Amino acid sequence: MNKINILIIEDLKSESVPLVELLTKNGFNVVAVAENFKDAIKVFYEEPIDLLIIDVFLNGVPDGITFAETISTVPGSLKPFIFLTSSKDRKIFDRAKLTSPFSFLLKPFNELEVLYAIEMALEKFYDQGMALTGETKNAVINDDHVFVKKNKSLKKISIADILYVEVEQRYCNIYTDSERYVVLISLVKIAALFEEHTFIRTHRNYLVNSKMIEEIILNEDTIILKGKHSVPLSDNYKKLTKQFNLLS
Amino acid sequence: MKFYITIVSLFILFNVHCQEKSRSDLIKSEFKKFPISIKIDPNFKKAYLFFIEKEYDSTLVYSHHFIASHGLNDKYSNYCHYFRAMSFINKQLFTMARKEFEMLPKTFPLYFTAQSEMGTIALELGDYSKALGYFLEIKELSQEDQQYFKEGVLYHNIGVCYLHLEKFEESEEYLLEGLNLQEKEQNTSFLITSYMDIANLYYAQYKDDLAIPFFEKAYALSKKTKNFELKQNAALNMAVVEENRKDYLKSIAYRKEYEIWKDSINDQNKILAVAQLEKKFISEKKQKEIEILEKDNSIKKAQRNNFIYSSILLSLLAVALFYFYRSKKKVNKVILAQKVTLDALNDTKDRLFSIVSHDLRSNVNAIDRNNSKLTESFKTQEYKEIGPQIEQGNALTNSTKALLDNMLNWALLQTEQMYFQQEDLSLRSIVNHVTHNYEPLLNSKNIALKIDIPPSMFVYADSESLKIVFRNVIDNAIKFSVAGDQISIYTNAQSHSHCQLIIEDTGTGMSNDVLTDLLGQSKQESKKINKERTGLGLHLCQSMMLKNDGELDIESEENVGTKLIFSIPKTKAHEQD
Repeated sequence: MNKINILIIEDLKSESVPLVELLTKNGFNVVAVAENFKDAIKVFYEEPIDLLIIDVFLNGVPDGITFAETISTVPGSLKPFIFLTSSKDRKIFDRAKLTSPFSFLLKPFNELEVLYAIEMALEKFYDQGMALTGETKNAVINDDHVFVKKNKSLKKISIADILYVEVEQRYCNIYTDSERYVVLISLVKIAALFEEHTFIRTHRNYLVNSKMIEEIILNEDTIILKGKHSVPLSDNYKKLTKQFNLLS
Repeated sequence: MKFYITIVSLFILFNVHCQEKSRSDLIKSEFKKFPISIKIDPNFKKAYLFFIEKEYDSTLVYSHHFIASHGLNDKYSNYCHYFRAMSFINKQLFTMARKEFEMLPKTFPLYFTAQSEMGTIALELGDYSKALGYFLEIKELSQEDQQYFKEGVLYHNIGVCYLHLEKFEESEEYLLEGLNLQEKEQNTSFLITSYMDIANLYYAQYKDDLAIPFFEKAYALSKKTKNFELKQNAALNMAVVEENRKDYLKSIAYRKEYEIWKDSINDQNKILAVAQLEKKFISEKKQKEIEILEKDNSIKKAQRNNFIYSSILLSLLAVALFYFYRSKKKVNKVILAQKVTLDALNDTKDRLFSIVSHDLRSNVNAIDRNNSKLTESFKTQEYKEIGPQIEQGNALTNSTKALLDNMLNWALLQTEQMYFQQEDLSLRSIVNHVTHNYEPLLNSKNIALKIDIPPSMFVYADSESLKIVFRNVIDNAIKFSVAGDQISIYTNAQSHSHCQLIIEDTGTGMSNDVLTDLLGQSKQESKKINKERTGLGLHLCQSMMLKNDGELDIESEENVGTKLIFSIPKTKAHEQD
């Protein structure tokens, strides 16, 4: 549920197998390895894809670039992609550059470089520079997902799945039913982003997904959420509860 | 009754000799008073100038033009009439002259001179009473105007008029008065004329006694003059006188003398004709000379033109030559520049060949030998040997791969085919990415790696070239380190524009000589082949740092370690929140 879906477009097994291994090891979900342009297009429009890794040369022709050009011209279909190449030839680079890729990965590459390239592609695609590769932040937020770095790997959280957000000093804890994620972002910013969804403030330090509320216990100043998680409800924010149709 | 053969009418033309000058002065002074518009009229001006120069034919032509353009009665046309009249008199065309004079109004400033001319013309044409009228009018003129006339001549002419009108008493009075005045002047011709006219006067009245002395005086005086006409007349008069005195001998002698003078006049005419012919001949000769000179001139002109044209041609040629010289020089420059580039490329090629022939070959040979040993070991089942042999094989393959990579990168860099894009990079990430590959090797060799780069350190560089440089340096550091050594990567004091990254090892290091040799080799691209190290890696690193607007320095001490100091441009005004 929280894995990032990646489509690899690579014609050589010898290249794709270690890459798939590496990505799987780092908690990514490799949706498919397409070996030609046609397959790639098919998978791309059928499966939910978060990111693509495209080899520039497919069977000796720069079909990778053609693919990138194709998805760039279809409105709304563009996803962050990374070009994979072993060539340092300027001509190829110049052509690839025209599709404004979000990252380049030069063969041979190591684990760190792959992860870095993925982070780079995500933050560039959502125009949140340094949000992942920098040291002071660790998350990229788009309309309905949060990409957050947990340990060394990247996780994808659907905003609809979030129960509540707890604010500590300079970071937030995002709770889902099963996990806790530490996001280096201020409450003000995250509140602004989340208020478009169904989040309400119940406490100075708490932001709750209203769809997840199961019970509000007023005399205990507590809100019970799905999965028996409880959050405090402070007096200042009690009036907010009035917008719900209370049963008792 | 005594008869006389009449005497050639003897009167004196006013304008002939003495008065000419004062007359032209008069005209000149008149002319000065004229307005500019007339002075610059080409016809009038020419008529006037030719009149002064006594070119009467031309005067007639231009004055006619002027009158035709300005009308007969124009104020200035009068002057032209005057010019024309005077010109006609000089051409002996008296009736024409009189017509011109008659066109002059009495208000004409020079009318009084015209009058005297009219008188002379009347005399010439035998209209004596008219002539007398004109002369008497002149006599009545004011003293000022009289200065233009010789009184003696005037009196004489009046006397002649009376003589012809047979009013002898008045004639005698005027002629004697004229003689008186002329004796003062001592003009021989006038005197002779006067004597002869007086003699004629008396002779006509049959006063022979009075007449003869005058004839004789005239004759005597005529010997002194050169005027043949006067001599002839005097002689003829004497002949007539002697004939009347019946002294035929003398008469015949005088006649003969008269004939002689008459012949002389003819002779003179002939001489004049000859002289004119000569003149014509001379002028023709001169004309010829002029023609020759003109031809000479035209030849010289042609020569001069030729000279000018040829000099222009020469200078054009010189310019063209200069231009070609310049363009050739330019071409040479381009060729020279190309030669330098080609030499550099050739050096690159030579270097690649030397590396291929030496380093690569020895590496591949080593792999080959290793494989043979491995096969041998496998055959003889000496499995203990196989482990280290495989490891050695791996090491050889790795170093060969690194060498190949460097060669390729270096060739790409030299031929400028390498993709190069400077951008903001996290120095720590780059170093981490590079060192990540070496972790297993470092662990197996037991070499410690310490990285200390602040996460906020961002540089502006091309990531791939930076990685190539770091890989080379770390490769090298590991190669010359042994177990227990440490490699540290850290940043140091930094300038405003560049950050300093130091990669330091505690390995074997290099002596100064080796270092200088290495640096020199990489800088001068020496073609020495059989060296253990080609310095390609170092050279590549330096070139790439230079391309990134950075620098690379090496400090090394034998048995202490090597320190590489990178200077990399910082990100321009990078903001972090």
